[in-house]
Amino acid sequence: MGEAEKTFLSGLHEKLVEDKVIDESQLDPNFAKEIVKYGGKDVMTCLQCGNCTGVCPISLKIDYKTRSIMKYCQFGLRKYTLGTRWVCATCYRCYEHCPADINPAEVMIALRHIAIREGVVPPFVKVAATNLVLYGQSVKPDVEIEKIRDELGLGDVHTKDPEYRSVLREIRTIIQATKYDKLIGIDAEGKA
Amino acid sequence: MSSYAYFFGCVIPNRYPGIEYAVRWICGKEGFGLDIKDIKEFSCCPVPGIFYSTDKDTWLALATRNLTLAQDEKREIMTVCNGCLASLLKATEYLQDPKVMGKVNRTLSQVGRKYTGIPRKGEGTRRVFEPVKVRHYVDVMAKDVGMDAISAKVKHPLKNVKVAVHYGCHYLRPTEHQTFDDPNDPVLIDRMVEACGASSVDYEDKLDCCGAGGGVRSHVVELANSLTQDKCANISAAGADCIVTGCPFCLLQFDNAQKSFSKDGIPVMHISQFQALAMGIDTISLGFDTHHVSVHSFLRKLRGI
Repeated sequence: MGEAEKTFLSGLHEKLVEDKVIDESQLDPNFAKEIVKYGGKDVMTCLQCGNCTGVCPISLKIDYKTRSIMKYCQFGLRKYTLGTRWVCATCYRCYEHCPADINPAEVMIALRHIAIREGVVPPFVKVAATNLVLYGQSVKPDVEIEKIRDELGLGDVHTKDPEYRSVLREIRTIIQATKYDKLIGIDAEGKA
Repeated sequence: MSSYAYFFGCVIPNRYPGIEYAVRWICGKEGFGLDIKDIKEFSCCPVPGIFYSTDKDTWLALATRNLTLAQDEKREIMTVCNGCLASLLKATEYLQDPKVMGKVNRTLSQVGRKYTGIPRKGEGTRRVFEPVKVRHYVDVMAKDVGMDAISAKVKHPLKNVKVAVHYGCHYLRPTEHQTFDDPNDPVLIDRMVEACGASSVDYEDKLDCCGAGGGVRSHVVELANSLTQDKCANISAAGADCIVTGCPFCLLQFDNAQKSFSKDGIPVMHISQFQALAMGIDTISLGFDTHHVSVHSFLRKLRGI
């Protein structure tokens, strides 16, 4: 997994070696509160047993330790969580094996909420949200598949129906009401 | 029997129309004749790996909008995808909290919708509201149609076929959902495969993730593919002829990832396609042309050529 490690954890190793001693200025006591706010409840009750890391499929492939991330969250070591926020597959095995009944997958999801609010929006989030605004679905329609749909007699995907425009209007209204378009930086009219 | 609404989601109609055909055929009059219909206004569930991960308010509002459509029709939602199941089921659980429901309804009032649950007659004159039921295709088939009826409809038992079943994470976990199968030892897809006359082989790490979920496939495809490679190695070692899954996104991952590490690959299909094969559908209707890993050698083996 050389490639993935290079892409996603670049620089992280060096930093970890550099910061063998962590001084108080790096600790952010509000970080855990922020995580709880975005749904990662019970993060402070982590016992550091490491079951979550043992069952995590991603940890087999790259340097990604759920337990360490839980610890960084407790201490508020924000910068150590930066490189690995988007590699959780949300398979929830960590949750099933947690003796303290914490849901580490939800903590990862909370970290993503924080990332988005720090302005770190991965391109695929924008793509999916734009597709939702334009087509009502997160996957873009494909011309070849449309031909096959015709051959099978399935007809067009229901989202192509002219009447579906009212649904697209509803989706836009909802996205504007929750300010999601501003949050991730897309155009709610789908022009971007 | 209950009445249902199809919920195909995004991947099936736009990537694997053969699954849509199979499901409609099986639920329709040539199959089990379920009371099921399309709701034209359904949108994306929305994808848990993207919307649930980035803004829960938006996710819940969009998911609840879908739920209100089923609520107005008084139907149960039948999803054919694990992702849609997870997203919509989680939304019904969030909506159990009256405060959350009130907040979502304030957002939805802007588009003229309101979620209450489906009204039912309670004791005396009281009305009770039941949450909209969200069910997986496998759940409906196994519990409402029943294994006996499934095997009774099988025209061509798929004998001598060894199947590796992949359940997919959101079929099983988190267990706080109202589960319809045993999350630690799921059996329903295996039983369906066996009802079709085939045998389901056991393989190492059967309940492991395909690697695609949570935006991993979109974000770092090598990482997702590397997890799939491990799964495929275990599946090959068990000598399976094909992979059968209940989730089109896992299917997409197995189908696309295999070309990155192997030449031929193991054919992969949705449980509905497998079931339709056993029920004697014309194989052209299953849209196997859209699959990247060729299913033809598998089909030839079925015909005994």
